[in-house]
Amino acid sequence: MNFSASLKTLRHITHELRQSSPQGSLKDSLVLRYIFDQYHKFKTTEQQVCKAQEEVNFIANSYLCYLRSTRKRQEIHDQYHGRGERSVEETARLVGFKLPHDPK
Amino acid sequence: MNNILRNCRSLLNKNYNYILFKNEHIIFRRNYAAVRKRFYRKTGILYNDGKYEVTLDQRKLKTPNGNLFTVESEPLALAVAAEWDTQKEKIQQNSMYLSTLCNTAIDNPNNLTKYDMVQYIVNYLDTDTILFQSNENEELYKLQVQEWDPVLDWFCNRFQVKVQKSREMCTPAISDEVKATISKHLLSYNFACIHGYVFGVDTLKSVILTLACAERFLTPEKAALLSRLEEEFQLGKWGRVEWAHDLNQQDLQARLSATVLFIHFNSSSWLTKQKSLL
Repeated sequence: MNFSASLKTLRHITHELRQSSPQGSLKDSLVLRYIFDQYHKFKTTEQQVCKAQEEVNFIANSYLCYLRSTRKRQEIHDQYHGRGERSVEETARLVGFKLPHDPK
Repeated sequence: MNNILRNCRSLLNKNYNYILFKNEHIIFRRNYAAVRKRFYRKTGILYNDGKYEVTLDQRKLKTPNGNLFTVESEPLALAVAAEWDTQKEKIQQNSMYLSTLCNTAIDNPNNLTKYDMVQYIVNYLDTDTILFQSNENEELYKLQVQEWDPVLDWFCNRFQVKVQKSREMCTPAISDEVKATISKHLLSYNFACIHGYVFGVDTLKSVILTLACAERFLTPEKAALLSRLEEEFQLGKWGRVEWAHDLNQQDLQARLSATVLFIHFNSSSWLTKQKSLL
């Protein structure tokens, strides 16, 4: 995998993490800091004994897949999951009726 | 009869919540614990005694059995902490596959040994999904040959074994040598990794695909696709339903990528050693 492809993965991971973060910011995200460290570490292989860069990229892509799939799964679930029975008001509104005590 | 019912009832009282009507009709009601609300602000990790722990504010994360949550790998602990951090208002523990995997490996609720699990995986090989190919639909068969056979070839090459695929209900059983080779390979992993493998095999319904994914021959997306190949083929003809097919696809991918991460972080090969700079 070439350099730009691994940068692309990094950008996607950052995007997913930001989306799933409750504050919407990654200012103090530990996991992101770790990932950046790893990217720096595996950028050059001259001074370090490290596994094939390919393996690191594979793990990064798997993590991206994990974040993305979990988010999409939750989105589909939220969209289609039953919310129980509708209330009388809701049912009435569904068919365009009003309840007796509603203003006309 | 009454005696049996009474015994039944005393048993039920212990384990289940049930409603009993006058004429002794029993309706079972299974109670699920209410989804917990998020009770912490920040998540972090701690290094203690050679192991990493996850913290929720000042509290330490525990497993469902009440054990302290500890893992040996830093990235895994970070990923779990991040997973807890992504829970917004409610803690959806059923979708936190990484935490689930770690919890299962720590608690080991079924009291399994490594050998039990390896035995389970090896026996699964007899009914591996990609060894059974269609004998009804030629088009599907062609697709399966095109997509599955390269993985099968990789498997045979990688482990120097021979397995036969089949188009019938009954296949020639996997030979003992093949099983011995695979169990030898699996036994070289540690206990936690084997838990990961079992989870992966149960997800994909295939030992070969799981191994191919863990050994980086297939990406998790591709392996999940190959596992659902027939489904994908059929829905190409009959239409795609988002809440069934897409949900299933995303779920499989999430489970499998969690498995891959879990196995990699738990296997010793992940430990990086830095050469001292001259």
